[in-house]
Amino acid sequence: MKKRDVIVDAGVLISLTSSCLDNLLYFFAEKYNLRFIIPPSVEKEAVTVPLKKNIRKYLFSAIRIKNAIDAGVVVVVDAKLEEDTKNLMKTANSIFFVRGRPLHLIHKGETEMLILAKQLGVEYVLMDERTTRILIEAPILLKKHFEREFHVNVMVNKKNLEKLTHEIGPLRTLRTSELVMLAYEKGYFKSFESLEKSVLEAALYKIKYSGCSIGFREIKEYMSGVR
Amino acid sequence: MRTLFEYIPRILSAFKKRDQRRLRKLNDSVLRETAVDSTKINFRLAIISYVLSKIVSKPRLLSEDCQPALSAIEYSLVKLVKKMRIADERMIMDLFSEIETNVSLLEERDPRFVIGLLSKGKLKMAATFYAQGMSLGIAAEMTGIDKQEILDYAGSTMMFDRLTEEKTLKERMKIARQLLSG
Repeated sequence: MKKRDVIVDAGVLISLTSSCLDNLLYFFAEKYNLRFIIPPSVEKEAVTVPLKKNIRKYLFSAIRIKNAIDAGVVVVVDAKLEEDTKNLMKTANSIFFVRGRPLHLIHKGETEMLILAKQLGVEYVLMDERTTRILIEAPILLKKHFEREFHVNVMVNKKNLEKLTHEIGPLRTLRTSELVMLAYEKGYFKSFESLEKSVLEAALYKIKYSGCSIGFREIKEYMSGVR
Repeated sequence: MRTLFEYIPRILSAFKKRDQRRLRKLNDSVLRETAVDSTKINFRLAIISYVLSKIVSKPRLLSEDCQPALSAIEYSLVKLVKKMRIADERMIMDLFSEIETNVSLLEERDPRFVIGLLSKGKLKMAATFYAQGMSLGIAAEMTGIDKQEILDYAGSTMMFDRLTEEKTLKERMKIARQLLSG
């Protein structure tokens, strides 16, 4: 079976491990040959720093992520990302303008994910961070959101928007919630027998409370279709 | 620095009057300015204005015992008003630190929560910036709060229900299923 690659951000790994749902990664890796790819900066943020600095709050997640890396389920891919990251960040942060000033939207870590996906030719990005995801999927939605939040007109630099769209290419985004739902559909929670539906719902709320950008409405919508 | 010049004297005045409503409104305005002009000074000002509004909302922090600490905060604010036009960024940041130290002293008199007012203020502001549309990375960097803490906080709010997504859940699941079949 062909390897299927997915770029993953630190937030996803931390929320999966702290919710004890990281076995999902093994499930998809073993059964569907998925490979979860991270740049070294994500490993540093989610594993190296918490372990080195002994940050108790994040040690459990850090150890479990390290385990997944050691098992080859999560793969750290080193690439030269700096220059491209800098350029893309410059473009992304010069798309929306308020009172003639650019809105700074995305950060180095988030931009790196997009560059890594582009360099490796990976189509799927698994991320729970909302702003970058919306910027990929529907940037104009962000404009409307800002206008509603700040009660101002937001101008769009179309040239930079087109440049960004061209630079990142046809990326497809997934949230942890979709991964959990997909796991359910593929029988991951079967061992819970009569509690299968309840455990799915509990898992969705757990990752929601860990910051996955899914709304309560969406969880209800999905659960209403589950028999 | 424009935001600072405009808001610090008003924040001082509202704090002196213990006017929580006014401080909350000023905090909202500073938040809006910060989104447009995301400097470290503005981020810090947003946190301070939020914390000050919380202080005046808590009677236990306005008791007689707390007056020396409250005066110290006022004094630091007055110093900031006096120096802000001639001070450089570093000096402003030092004055912010002085205000924050005085806030901590105020809390030392009556520590009730594991997370102090200042840390809570930082977290709340970081989550608000994220909710407004800044990325998690920017909100974390500017406030000094861990990304996961912001995510945990954001996850327990309605922020992800406030923005109507472009894709429906059905469309998202279709994409997810394609990952396994493609």
